[in-house]
Amino acid sequence: MAGVMISPETRGQFSAIAELRWNLFRNSLRTRHGKTELVSQIFIGILFCILGLGGSAALAVGAWYLISENKAQWLALLLWPVFMFWQFFPVMATAFTDNLESSSLLPFPLGYRSYFLVRLAYGLFDAATTVGCMWLLGILFGITVANFALLPSSAIVLLAFAAVNVLLTRVVFSWVERWLAQRRTRELFGVLLFLMLIGFQLIGPTLDRYSHRQRPGVMLAVAERVSLFQRVLPPGLAGESIASISRGAYGAGLTWLMALSVYGATFVWLLNFRLRAQYLGENLSEAGIAEVSQTRNQPLRLGWNLPLVSGSVAAVFEKELRVLSRSGPMLLSLVMPIVALFVLRIGRWSAGAQGLHSTMMRAPDFGFPMGSIYALLILTNLVYNNLGAEGSGVQFFLVSPIRFREIVLGKNLAHSACLVGTVFLVWLAVNFVYGTPTAAMTAATLAALLFAAPLTFAAGNLFSIYSAKRVDYGTFGRQKASQLTVLASLGVQLFIFAVGGGTIVASRSFGNLWLATPIFMLLAIFSFAIYMLGLGRVDKLVLDRREALVSELSKA
Amino acid sequence: MLGPAITTQGLTRRFGELLAVDQVNLSVEAGQFFGFLGPNGAGKSTTIKMLTGLLAPTSGTIRILGLDLLANPVDVKRQIGVVPEGMALFGRLTGMEYLNFVGRMYGLSREIAAQRATELLDFMQLASDPKKMVTDYSHGMQKKLALAAAVIHAPKILFLDEPFEGVDAIAAGTLKNMLQGMIDRGATIFLTSHVLEIVERLCSHVAIINRGQLVAQGSLAELRSGVEAQVHAEAAGDGHPSALPAERLTLEQIFLRVVGGSRTVNQELSWLG
Repeated sequence: MAGVMISPETRGQFSAIAELRWNLFRNSLRTRHGKTELVSQIFIGILFCILGLGGSAALAVGAWYLISENKAQWLALLLWPVFMFWQFFPVMATAFTDNLESSSLLPFPLGYRSYFLVRLAYGLFDAATTVGCMWLLGILFGITVANFALLPSSAIVLLAFAAVNVLLTRVVFSWVERWLAQRRTRELFGVLLFLMLIGFQLIGPTLDRYSHRQRPGVMLAVAERVSLFQRVLPPGLAGESIASISRGAYGAGLTWLMALSVYGATFVWLLNFRLRAQYLGENLSEAGIAEVSQTRNQPLRLGWNLPLVSGSVAAVFEKELRVLSRSGPMLLSLVMPIVALFVLRIGRWSAGAQGLHSTMMRAPDFGFPMGSIYALLILTNLVYNNLGAEGSGVQFFLVSPIRFREIVLGKNLAHSACLVGTVFLVWLAVNFVYGTPTAAMTAATLAALLFAAPLTFAAGNLFSIYSAKRVDYGTFGRQKASQLTVLASLGVQLFIFAVGGGTIVASRSFGNLWLATPIFMLLAIFSFAIYMLGLGRVDKLVLDRREALVSELSKA
Repeated sequence: MLGPAITTQGLTRRFGELLAVDQVNLSVEAGQFFGFLGPNGAGKSTTIKMLTGLLAPTSGTIRILGLDLLANPVDVKRQIGVVPEGMALFGRLTGMEYLNFVGRMYGLSREIAAQRATELLDFMQLASDPKKMVTDYSHGMQKKLALAAAVIHAPKILFLDEPFEGVDAIAAGTLKNMLQGMIDRGATIFLTSHVLEIVERLCSHVAIINRGQLVAQGSLAELRSGVEAQVHAEAAGDGHPSALPAERLTLEQIFLRVVGGSRTVNQELSWLG
């Protein structure tokens, strides 16, 4: 009995943790940002309710149908989506949120059992568990309506399945937390998830493409093999258990349930393994290892030299490109235009589908301007918040003896280099995928970029100073730009698209696309003048805004 | 006399209703190792930010090496080195790249910047892992790197906001030697620190700010004798013998006396221990 009883001290600790979480939530509402977050959370909560209830109803109907039609062996088909959502949604959400703080509990005199329970309890109230439980209740409801006698046994099996899901989520979380605790693994994890998301985008077009070449025999063989494999995994085991019981094979049902419980026990063991290491104070800091400095005869590493610009501008240019080259997610986003071109190519356009794909098929010339526009759009993340990644480093710029316009110029040159590189890759990709764009369209696109880029940089410089927002280009997610910046960039982009599109349409209506190039060149002179005008005002603007810049960018 | 390196006249800074720095008149002679002290929230960081151009004063003037900071910011910045609060590092560069970058921003040639960066990394014992990014440095290593960056252009005045915070004893010893060497060669150092023992050991002159106002300024000996005279005068007024210790007053005792912290020190929590 004593083992089951919770001591008053532990009870006090649990209530203190619950109170802490409540206070954190309540205090977060004091800020305007917190209130906005609450509104968005309520909105997301409603969406999850719809997802939970809708899914629950659909699964109830599915379960009712399978049991009624004596097709209980297919129940696993309903349990697999539940399992996938339960496991994948929290992991993906974690990569887009801040690091967990398991270590914050460790300084307190919390026994290991209490620590284990608290860590386990963290997972009981998340969205995935709530939606997962709603879906399982839907399945149980469908089974019960179809055959009331199955209620107790199904309830036990589905309860065990839910427990396995909760435990597995916590195991995955505890390992994810371990990876997220270190910068390198955290970034690698982010990149993998990003690639996974791109991979998901490719699934649809790929399936579409190969659906024309169906081979029923092969598909059936694959399905049978997959079915065999899935039977030994938790959704398969749970489905088999209910199916066996529905056939009256109680022994087999119990065996499948026992097998499912083995998974649960294994997950408990794995979770215990991870949490005990945390509890005993494992050190995952990258910086914690004391190092003994060794003098090495290294050759001098000179900085870059750029023609026509001062050493300080060259230094900023070099620094920007070095930082960007180490920001995996940002680099990946820069190559997204090329990925998009390939995704569109894999689609159904080869089969003569309508819409965008067919437009691309009929006029491969559109690939280059569209890819270039996309490249410019992607770059706005950098351009409209070009001080955001400096963090407290912005203080160095403010105390250094050079004019801020040189710093901004160095950054703009670096971002221009990125744009030139991406546009070149887009041109190569368009050549490879769609064929060579015409010389007239290539010239028009390049001239349009000469018009659009200075305008984008001019606006970007202004908003980088007026509404800077601290960001970390090394990690995904939560990189929210200021709302003002988002709106402004949208306005500028719309203007650029309107002018650019109008020019192309007008040139086409005159039957000569070559007309667009001189028009864009003329516009480029104006946009360059605007850029220079803006650059000339940067020092004054920064001087006026320096406190706000330091305060915003030096935030912990 | 070399003349004042730093002078402020009526330096004031308001944040809305809060008067963070109120009519501060500072004078730091060239070649001085100057400690700027004060309790938490007294206005130290605000003052150092104004002196380095990170924050605009609400009113008052700042002259650095005879130049008006507000009128000649670039000329002033060329001659000063700063380790600000938060250190102003760029996490995704290596130590070498960062120092190279800083050197060139201060107008050093590529060759000299690279040469000094190598020497500084070696001196600060940061050369062991050249590929390590600054973001992966420990706090102490980052502090050393920030100090290295602040001196790469051989500034005439060095502003240091809590330079020894998080630095181990060995590194702190190295840094103290480096700073003392700079003083010997005529540089001026203006530092804030909460560690009064360090200030007492390093600094020749001290100023104390409390609630935004400068409440004491001078050499350590001047401050000491001032406080001793005050204690004697109070004791004579009360008709009691002076409560001064037999040894000379430490900076901590002077500081507590000046900012009125003695009552807090004597308070006890009866349930503790």
